[in-house]
Amino acid sequence: MSKEVPVEGRGYQICINCVMDTSDDNIKFDDNGVCDHCHDFENNVKPHWHTDDSGRKALNQIIERIKVEGKGKEFDCILGLSGGVDSSYMLHLAVKEFGLHPLVFHVDGGWNSELAVHNINVLIDKLGVELYTEVINWEEMRDFQLAFFKSGVPHLDIPQDHAFIATLYNFADKYKIKYILNGGNLSTECVQYPMQWFYYGTDMVHNNDIKRKFGTIKMGTYPTSSIFRHKIYLKYFKGIRRVTPLNYVPYVKGDALSFLEKEYGWKAYPQKHFESRFTKFYEGYWLPERFGYDTRRVQFSSLILTGQMTREEAIERLKAPAYDPETIADEFNYIATKLDITPEELRQYFNMPKKFYWDYKNQQNVFRIGAKVLNLIGVEKVKKREQ
Amino acid sequence: MLYPRIIPCLLVHNKGLVKTTKFKDPKYVGDPINAVKIFNEKEVDELIVVDIDATTKGIMPDYKMIENLAKECRMPLCYGGGIKTVEQAQRIFSLGVEKIAISSAAIENPSIVAAIAERVGNQSVVVVLDVKKKSLSGKYELYTHNGTKATGLDPIFHAIQMQKMGAGEIVINSIDQDGVMKGFDLNLINKIREIISIPLTVLGGAGSLENIGTIVQRYGIIGVAAGSLFVFKGKYRAVLINYPTANEKAALLRQYFLNNSE
Amino acid sequence: MITIVDYGLGNIRAFVNVYSRLNIEIKVAHTAKDLRAATKIILPGVGAFDYAILQLNASGMRDELEIQVLENKVPIMGICVGMQMLAKSSNEGKLPGLGWIDGEVKLFDTTLIPYKTRLPHMGWNNMCPIGNIELFNGFDEQTRFYFLHSYYFVCNREENVISTTEYGIRFASAVNRNNIYGVQFHPEKSHSSGVQLLHNFAKL
Repeated sequence: MSKEVPVEGRGYQICINCVMDTSDDNIKFDDNGVCDHCHDFENNVKPHWHTDDSGRKALNQIIERIKVEGKGKEFDCILGLSGGVDSSYMLHLAVKEFGLHPLVFHVDGGWNSELAVHNINVLIDKLGVELYTEVINWEEMRDFQLAFFKSGVPHLDIPQDHAFIATLYNFADKYKIKYILNGGNLSTECVQYPMQWFYYGTDMVHNNDIKRKFGTIKMGTYPTSSIFRHKIYLKYFKGIRRVTPLNYVPYVKGDALSFLEKEYGWKAYPQKHFESRFTKFYEGYWLPERFGYDTRRVQFSSLILTGQMTREEAIERLKAPAYDPETIADEFNYIATKLDITPEELRQYFNMPKKFYWDYKNQQNVFRIGAKVLNLIGVEKVKKREQ
Repeated sequence: MLYPRIIPCLLVHNKGLVKTTKFKDPKYVGDPINAVKIFNEKEVDELIVVDIDATTKGIMPDYKMIENLAKECRMPLCYGGGIKTVEQAQRIFSLGVEKIAISSAAIENPSIVAAIAERVGNQSVVVVLDVKKKSLSGKYELYTHNGTKATGLDPIFHAIQMQKMGAGEIVINSIDQDGVMKGFDLNLINKIREIISIPLTVLGGAGSLENIGTIVQRYGIIGVAAGSLFVFKGKYRAVLINYPTANEKAALLRQYFLNNSE
Repeated sequence: MITIVDYGLGNIRAFVNVYSRLNIEIKVAHTAKDLRAATKIILPGVGAFDYAILQLNASGMRDELEIQVLENKVPIMGICVGMQMLAKSSNEGKLPGLGWIDGEVKLFDTTLIPYKTRLPHMGWNNMCPIGNIELFNGFDEQTRFYFLHSYYFVCNREENVISTTEYGIRFASAVNRNNIYGVQFHPEKSHSSGVQLLHNFAKL
């Protein structure tokens, strides 16, 4: 069951509009009990979010630009395919509706579920696109992931996330591609994950500190990319742009799922991000049970705000654990086996005192200032979580 | 009705999965445990895992890795690489492996086949023949140590000897076709198929399901193994595990197997 | 408690893995004492008939096994050679079998098998359940299992045959008499069908 995590001195409180609660340390409620996530959505996000004709018009202009700039090249844009619903649906749109020629790549961090592999396969086959993969050296990934477990912090998925971002920008740079198609979408992600749960994946000072303290092998091939490299250098000096097409069209998750199933024989996952076995364990079990952070709370709140789920349904679903009690023992053992440790050792990390990003070196200030600057010059909305 | 077996073959090198071309230039494919888990979930007929370092480096089989892989298999698993003694074979069986594959050991000491078969039954002993064509004569020659040592031996003769020694299955592996994905060496397969009556599995060259179909159409009940076909996708050889679904397999067999008999 | 007899033959690990994932407790019996708490027994087996009988005799568990199965009527399932051992005798060997199911084990007549490679019967084949067998809940003629054997069970009583499979002839791929079951195929290596069968056995 989703734990009720009280904030020190505050007691437990849950938003009366969505289902975010005090497991988000920084949550604020107004006098009516509505949280700042909801206000942020209503005031800052919704007014600028157009999925009607004006949205489509803006998107068409972007598509045209992509095509023009990509003329004569093998690829006009790049798309990372995880096998999840967002990137899968976006690939469909890019090829079938927008007529683009994306370089499609997949990052294999050693945790692919059979579902993910199946879904990527059917899409590649049916859409007739070519695929690139980046296979992260497993020994390095394993050591990096284990270092994060040993550090005691919540953000254990940084090794996978960072590898993805770095690979994306490496490919874009290598093949001189100017446009990145990103599957991020307000429809299912308008509520941001609290910083305390998911810290920035590209804070290399932070990553390196953890690696130095707890890693045991040298990372020879693991791809890295600092925030300076891809937010500033690649963007402003090389002109690489990130586009989120799913924000310009009506994107209803249920419809997208049905469509993909019918059209491509695509198969749905039990929960968002479960295309990776690690993420399934991490978000389904580790985060909620060790820290009381249930990512479903964030995901359902987004769906509530965008009218795809009722609060009652969310509350009901949050009553059951995010993991499957029948298979969790087995999954736990599998994670330990993969990490090359005993289940007992993994359990030790589960029970160790909790640490957070501020317990290790970090460049959070740089990120904060950077975000403010970009926000001030109107380039970007302030984002709590690096996409 | 019995169907031919379609078998992914994985190579382990420095603890990771690789795929070679003509036994050279290993390309990194990823973590063995997760790959095996995915193949298991795809319900493959059988799985072959070969450690290509063990014999060349003269090291023991990695029992921990074998145990971890066997745990993920709800289908028969055949392990090969570095097995030289009956005790090693027995230890590997006790870890949950169905078949063990030997290659150089069977050439150096053919009686080991009989010795292992006596303990666990012939069905569990697989002999692998790594074969290359001699450039001038066009004749075939047996190689060992991951394709680096020419033995001067004739694979036909060796196959017959192995059958006599009590091998349960022969795997014929074409070094020339390995990783090339342009079809099997039918000439080589014919030669071996002619002279042995124990089960045969062919490996080396599969580039498409049609290649598998061709084998099944010609030889009926046979094992068809493939490496590159089941780990690569498309012209850029993107690493992506794949295997025919139940429907695709049924369609393949309907087209190539059910309408033919040997 | 499901108990699997470890007398030196068969893929014990595989059975333990399947039941662990099903969250069903399984115990491995090495001595007669280990069999006493058994509520269900699995008798695995690979390899040659005589060797299997010898190993079982040498394990010190044979007598206890007979008590549990014949007197206490504990359900038992023999796998592959474990099933063949239930017979009175086998053409493969000289030693008598357990004789718990009336029949003999014979070598496949290779002249009836239409393939070049005739023996062993190796690979995935389907089984046809006969009648309404609880052990086969959820199965039909399309259900496939992994086989690996050269000898097959010939029942003297038709009612002891609970499934047949085609390989040259239609042979008994599973047998049963009262609490005693045998399957010629390997459920521990037959993916979801096998897991289902082992689950069904546990739930009998």
